[in-house]
Amino acid sequence: MTALLEVRDLHTQFNTLDGVVRAVDGVSFDLASGETLGIVGESGCGKSVTALSILRLIPPETGRISAGSILFEGNDLAKLGEQEMKRLRGHRISMIFQEPMTSLNPVLTIGTQIAENVVRHLGVPWKAARERACEMLDLVRISDARRRLGEYPHQLSGGMRQRVMIAMALSCDPQVLIADEPTTALDVTVQAQILDLMLELKEKTGTAIVLITHDLGVVAETTQRVVVMYAGRKVEEAPVLALFDNPLHPYTRGLMRAIPRLDLDLEQAGTRPRLQEIPGLVPRLTQPIIGCAFASRCELATDRCRAEAPPVIDAGGGHTVACWEARP
Amino acid sequence: MSVLEVTNLVKHFPIHGGLLQRQVGAVRAVDGVSFSIAKGETLGLVGESGCGKSTIGKTVLKLIEPTSGRIVLGGEDITALRPGAMWPHRKRIQTIFQDPYSSMNPRLSAGTIVGEPLENFGIARGRERDERVARLFERVGLRPDAMRKYAHEFSGGQRQRLGIAKALSVSPDVIVADEPVSALDVSVQAQVLNLLIDLQEELGLAYLFISHDLAVMRHISHRIAVMYLGRIVELTDKRTLFTNPLHPYTEALLSAATAPDPRRAKRKKAIVQGDVPSPANPPPGCHFHTRCPYATPECKVTAPPLREVAPGHHVACLLR
Repeated sequence: MTALLEVRDLHTQFNTLDGVVRAVDGVSFDLASGETLGIVGESGCGKSVTALSILRLIPPETGRISAGSILFEGNDLAKLGEQEMKRLRGHRISMIFQEPMTSLNPVLTIGTQIAENVVRHLGVPWKAARERACEMLDLVRISDARRRLGEYPHQLSGGMRQRVMIAMALSCDPQVLIADEPTTALDVTVQAQILDLMLELKEKTGTAIVLITHDLGVVAETTQRVVVMYAGRKVEEAPVLALFDNPLHPYTRGLMRAIPRLDLDLEQAGTRPRLQEIPGLVPRLTQPIIGCAFASRCELATDRCRAEAPPVIDAGGGHTVACWEARP
Repeated sequence: MSVLEVTNLVKHFPIHGGLLQRQVGAVRAVDGVSFSIAKGETLGLVGESGCGKSTIGKTVLKLIEPTSGRIVLGGEDITALRPGAMWPHRKRIQTIFQDPYSSMNPRLSAGTIVGEPLENFGIARGRERDERVARLFERVGLRPDAMRKYAHEFSGGQRQRLGIAKALSVSPDVIVADEPVSALDVSVQAQVLNLLIDLQEELGLAYLFISHDLAVMRHISHRIAVMYLGRIVELTDKRTLFTNPLHPYTEALLSAATAPDPRRAKRKKAIVQGDVPSPANPPPGCHFHTRCPYATPECKVTAPPLREVAPGHHVACLLR
């Protein structure tokens, strides 16, 4: 497998009033061309900061990539100049966010916004770019595309806005699409439509997708490979079937037992089984974490876990776990 | 015997427009909804945004006035009670919000926040109040010495525990919980759901549990009402709802929900297309007919009544 995107030992930090927050603390992974990779974890685990780091969207006033590399098409994005990044963003690598309304310009029509991206990156005339915008709206199955080009974001529903964002993101045929919680703000029936659409377009265009989410259901149904993050670190990585069949990290196991399930046999009438809790809280990221980040909440933790960072164990078949006590 | 009974509840919000700001229409947020909740029971209200589930919660709490209908709390009709007359009844119905932080005064200590209702209702003051608050803290899994801390010093899950402690302080019969775990991470969500279930079993609380999350709903509810654009389209016990859903909208919701099982997936799931129409201008007839894969011409004109098709199983659909 030749990797399209190689993230190596990425460290991203923010300066806050409470001290330096190590939001991403040594994360490495590969993205193959045309694949769907999920990055999953709870709030504050560093999944969104990882995405922002890849696109170099970390606000320079407060944060920085302090170490590591992000290799993409022969360049190290961690070191690329802003002008070169501008040429990549929205062209070779695109991104869609949770709340499309905050990413769309309220005073420009959606046709202008999509066409703007095409003009800027592909250098085609406006007229051709508007044609492309029309094609893209058709592609994301917005009916009556030509008329919709002249509408403003506030005239569209939440699901339609996310479709417009996808149309814009894919308008220059990117190699990589980073989707950060793309369906979290949407209703269930609309979420299903958008996930279906993203997968269908991926088949059509061959764009690799990095899907960032807190929702294990979304991960299970849409991704091929999964990275599980906790407190800024990657704790487990596996093909999606292996991860759900045989989760190895105590945190991954804990997460899977903590979610209420829709798809399992119904319990005995009248009883409600207890959900498994993960006791305690995520550690503060302002202090350097010694040993394993999950040790304070882990039932298997030993003195070694609290003292030494765990090694990455290869369980075979692309399944790796960072844990002293995991028994692959 | 039911502790909360709601009959034919309607809540319309007027829309004003034009030069003179006359009323030009109404958002029909709740459009004739009936249900009851028994002691110790959880009734789930599930539906997508704009279906009116939160408006029902606010209306039964009398935070907003119903347009018409009847709300009976513990045998007493509270529908028309003015704020003053409603006051003594507020002890019996309390609420837990999605984001408890926004309802907490940042300048008061956590102990003061939780103890406020005790003073307001004249239940306990001074030392007795503090002792009761300490017991409440322990009951919801917070250390009593946290009483001196301020709301911002707690994590999201702990704040939700504070919100629960405050709601419990006046020993209510009914708690309206509006998306109480939606803002929480999975591992913390499990803690709060377990706590809510324990408290219900211990104290016989009735919950009106409002959520968009079917898996959470299935976990905590005894019966579930599925809402669409201001109306209940299906109401039954949870086992029946998940094994034998009858309304096409319920079917669509169930098939659209994701499950943490990669083997189940990889198929077309979106059996309905489009978005929910605006409640300011709902479609005529059955509100769901614009997205329903089975809709007939009859569905476009006739609003289906909620009928009991099997004992305890109510469906509003002309075709079932």
